[in-house]
Amino acid sequence: MARSTSKDAQDLFHSLRSAYAATPTNLKLIDLYVCFAVFTALIQVAYMALVGSFPFNSFLSGVLSCIGTAVLAVCLRIQVNKENKEFKDLAPERAFADFVLCNLVLHLVIINFLG
Amino acid sequence: MMNISRSVSLISLFLLPLLSFSFSVDNPTDRRVLVLLDDLSLKSSHSIFFNTLKSRGFDLDFKLAEDSKLALQRYGQYLYDGLIIFAPSTERFGGSLDSKSIADFVDSGRDLILSADTSASDLIRGISTECGVDFDEDSSAMVIDHTSFSVSDVDGDHTLIAAEDLVKSDVILGKTKIEAPVLFRGVAHSLNPTNNLVLKVLSASPSAYSANPSSKLLSAPQLTGSAISLVSVMQARNNARVVISGSLQLFSDRLFRSGVQKAGSPNKYEKSGNEQFVTELSKWVFHERGHLKAGNLVHHRVGETDEPAIYRIKDDLEFSVEIFEWSGKSWEPYVANDVQVQFYMMSPYVLKTLSTDKKGLFHTSFKVPDVYGVFQFKVEYEKLGYTTLSLSKQIPVRPYRHNEYERFIPTAYPYYGACFTTMAGFFVFSFVYLYHK
Repeated sequence: MARSTSKDAQDLFHSLRSAYAATPTNLKLIDLYVCFAVFTALIQVAYMALVGSFPFNSFLSGVLSCIGTAVLAVCLRIQVNKENKEFKDLAPERAFADFVLCNLVLHLVIINFLG
Repeated sequence: MMNISRSVSLISLFLLPLLSFSFSVDNPTDRRVLVLLDDLSLKSSHSIFFNTLKSRGFDLDFKLAEDSKLALQRYGQYLYDGLIIFAPSTERFGGSLDSKSIADFVDSGRDLILSADTSASDLIRGISTECGVDFDEDSSAMVIDHTSFSVSDVDGDHTLIAAEDLVKSDVILGKTKIEAPVLFRGVAHSLNPTNNLVLKVLSASPSAYSANPSSKLLSAPQLTGSAISLVSVMQARNNARVVISGSLQLFSDRLFRSGVQKAGSPNKYEKSGNEQFVTELSKWVFHERGHLKAGNLVHHRVGETDEPAIYRIKDDLEFSVEIFEWSGKSWEPYVANDVQVQFYMMSPYVLKTLSTDKKGLFHTSFKVPDVYGVFQFKVEYEKLGYTTLSLSKQIPVRPYRHNEYERFIPTAYPYYGACFTTMAGFFVFSFVYLYHK
């Protein structure tokens, strides 16, 4: 049974990889951006675990900027994905404009809270 | 917030007529001392002591203790700056003197030398008790020491003792060590151990005791050993100095001139230590030594010269005070390495020893602690034999203003970096997303 499980895992992995290769480039770009943002957030959490949470507002501001922009990028991806029936009538330009505006507000608030 | 110099100048302004007659060490020209004797022959039998006082500039006024015209004050002003009472057997003073007026005399800051002797009267005992010294209740008791007596004791009852237990204080007894023992013949007294104003200057040896030499000892004596004090001093809180001696013969010419050899000791001294002991002690009691004056308490931030009205926490400040010692003729700079300043608010947050430049200036610098509130600079100096110094100056300390904190916190640099990196990433991403093919 172990052998079949590991073979199943490998098959799963391969099928995921080939399915992902079929996604459009712009979605892959958004995924990359989200990964980058989450990775930056994780680095900050690891740093805080190391030195303590002294300027807590700065820590929150840094982590929230990363998580916030990741969330906004995920929303963009949902709205721009052509396979998504729900947002069939929404123009991708409108989605991108929303993304940019929300990010502007987010970063304004973040810089203010950074201290 | 009055500092010492301001209050002294204010007092001197209002009391200038009074001050010019008092023994203020600022005006040492008037040094009149009243000497009360119960027997005028004491003038000649104690002439060496009186002549040394006169040669130091004192104006001695000899009166009989029962003289009916005795007065220490007239119309509210004191006529004398010092008092010597060599009248151990007087029951009542004449004139307007009594134990209360003598206590008031000491309370006004003036000095007293009091000597009891065998058969000391209740009046003398009462004055001593006011000063914290308790004589033996038995009026016929004398100090007897069978191992420390002087071999020149003619009576053979070992009441002329050769005492060597002197207090270790250069300021009270002078820098030169008193080599020869001090001859003493008189009554014992003891000090209350909780009283921190009195001090034993000459104590009896552990083998001494206080009893009547002519009658048989029926029970153990109450005062024994080193608890017996032969000569004590008291420095009152207003820095008046009092010397109380159990023996009038200690001051006499006969004991000054006599040689001394302690029983059982091979050392024979040509001259007893009495004259040196009494002279040095009289210098101390009349403020020719050990009288300190402090003033000019100055503090300011490092780099400035003006005194600020308020400090901020973690400021660097410098503190200095000037202390002088009266040498008998002039104010000399005081040199010591144990004067301390406290930065005090309910408890001392900073306690620093001041360093001196040997010209009377004591200074130090320290950082204001990380606590805000109303602090005081306190200099409290109580050294054995010196006048007590107690200066304080109040100063508030404020916390940081909102714009005095550090602008960028170094620990938070990664967070700053992450925020700006995210912004840059967003910018780059939006360009790439829009213009990719």
